Formats: sequence, structure tokens, C-alpha cells
Amino acid sequence: MASEAGEGSTAGMDDYETLISTTDVELLKKAWRNEKAAPEILRFETSLIQRIRGQIQLMEENIEEFAGSGIDPLTVSLYQMDLDRTQYLFRSYLRIRLQKIEKYMFHISKNPEVQSRLSEQEKGFARRCADDMERHLEESVLSKLPDNYQDTVKQSIISEESDMRFSWF
Amino acid sequence: MYGRKACQLVKELASGEKGQLTPYNSDLFDQVIAECSQHHLELQSLIRKMQEEGLDVQTTRNADHYGALIHHLSLVRNKRCLMAYMYNRAEIIRSLIWKVGPVLPQQIQEKLSHTEEEYFKKHSGALQSYMSRLDLDLTVDMVPPKDPYIQVRVLDDIGVVLSDDKTTNFARHSMHFLKRTDAEQFISRGLMEELTS
Repeated sequence: MASEAGEGSTAGMDDYETLISTTDVELLKKAWRNEKAAPEILRFETSLIQRIRGQIQLMEENIEEFAGSGIDPLTVSLYQMDLDRTQYLFRSYLRIRLQKIEKYMFHISKNPEVQSRLSEQEKGFARRCADDMERHLEESVLSKLPDNYQDTVKQSIISEESDMRFSWF
Repeated sequence: MYGRKACQLVKELASGEKGQLTPYNSDLFDQVIAECSQHHLELQSLIRKMQEEGLDVQTTRNADHYGALIHHLSLVRNKRCLMAYMYNRAEIIRSLIWKVGPVLPQQIQEKLSHTEEEYFKKHSGALQSYMSRLDLDLTVDMVPPKDPYIQVRVLDDIGVVLSDDKTTNFARHSMHFLKRTDAEQFISRGLMEELTS
């Protein structure tokens, strides 16, 4: 987001500067970049996300006010674009994490260290993902196989370890 | 040759376009399952034969043992192929939820088995539940924004839509100047197209 000092001295501009703390958006950008580049899921930025949510809401309200108060429509649309970009980063950050959870659902469910990096809601989502997938595999494949071969993680009942070693387990 | 059908099934996965599903091959799938049952029967009869001959099943290494081993290994190989087939299709199904939304168009739905349709619904529900807990729709805003408003042309008759504080009639071929986030849901379903002139 723009960090230059306001050209005019309108109260709107000053409020804008204080409301959208540039540091938070920079932090969000950094977190988003990290998440996008990292192959595994990183620690959830709980406090940052909470702050950004609040700021986005505040900014939305302000823009509505500005739009009605006769401030130059070009200025309003610039603030709007700025807000759109922050919202995109915010949504994309959460989306990337969800897609990683979908990809590694079994690894996550068996690995408490990785689980500790998820938010509470993400943990719930991860659990449902793994359950749904297990149910799906059981119904479509495992229940039709002979007894002794119906386990998801062991090749058969005589296996000593979880040797159904798919790349996601 | 054992395992050939299962191999064919897995090859079908590779034959489809990346990110697209091939129709669910229930015939081939059932044939592989039948092969597995067959292997199991043979395996059991060989083990029984060894037991009737008074041999220790755990330690004896005769022709029957190796025969049983081959059956066991083929069975396990088939199991691995079947699970890979289902798992990879499920992965594509999940990606469809992000691309197309919670309702699948008819031509995609035809390619799914019954269990896969169930899985689609369940996973869609899990996603919806997460989004509603956060009170956030994560299926919009899929590309970085360039303009807050875009011009769109309506491709299919959508009819009258209520948005914010006004109602607009999205008749076929009409052009509108919309907020990007509002238009996105229609564009992703192919009902509108963006005019990038």
C-alpha cells in the first residue's frame, strides 16, 4: 500500500495513514510470499491476520464514507484499489494454506509438530479432510478387497509397519 | 500376466489432460477387484495345502510358499494401483471445487463414480464450513486485482440480479461495468466474459 505522506492536509488523508499501518500490510505481503514459496505449511500468523481483518473492515467503512462525502472520486477509487490489493493478499494467504492442507492431509494428521502450525479452524478442516479421504478410499477400494488387505496404511495384515508408503503418508 | 489390468488403470490417469478427469472406468476397476479375490483364493488354497502336508507355514520355503508369495505380492500391487487411481482422481476433484465451485456441470459429473460424487459433496461441505467459521468467501478474488471495476459481456441469460443496493438485468449479450469481485462468480462459471480491450 502507498506509504507517502498525503499531499493535501485533508483529515481523510491523515486518518488513512494512521488507519492502514503500512507495517502490517508489509508483514502480510511477507507472510504471503513466504507461504507461496515454502513447500510445507508455515506457522499461522494469528495476531497479524486478526489485525489485518480489523483494518480491512475499518477501511471499507471509511471508503463508503469518503464516497458519500464528496471527496474526489479518483482518490476514492485509489483507496479502493489499495483495499482490493490487501484483500487479495489476505484471501490468497488463507487459500494457499488450505491447499497445502489438502495436499498433505495425512502427513499433517500424523504429525503433531506440523499440526501446531495450523489455526484452530484449519485444524478442524484438516481433520475433516483426512476423515473424508479415508472414508472415500475405504468405500471405493478397501471394502472390496479380501480381509487382511483392508488397512489404509498397511499393505496387509502381516505387514509389520505402515508400508503402504504412498508419497502422502 | 498379473497386474496388467491394474497397470492399465493407472495409465488411464496419465492419459487424461492435466487437471482433467477421464470417465470413471468401473469395468476395469471391478476386473482388478475380481483379480484380487482370485489371488486371495489361490493364496489360501496353497497355504492350506502346506498345512495339510504338515509343513510349518512360517518357515517352509517350497514351491507352494513361493506360489503363495507371488499371489500375495500381486494382490498388494493391485491394491496399490487401485488406491493410487482413487487418490489421484480425488485430488483432481478437489481442484475442481476451487475452479468451478460447489456445483459441478453435467459433463464433469458424468465422469464421476457414485462414491466420488459423495466425496465431492463432503469436501465441498468441509470447505464451506471453514469459510463460514471465518465469515469469509475464499473462492472469490482468485487473481491479483488490476482494476477495481471491469467491463463484462454477458454470455448466458442470467436474469435480474440483486447486488448491493441496485438490481440489474443481466440479459444475454448485454455489457456491464461491474465491480471485479461481483463479476468473478459469473466469469468462473462461464456466464460472463471480461472485455479486455
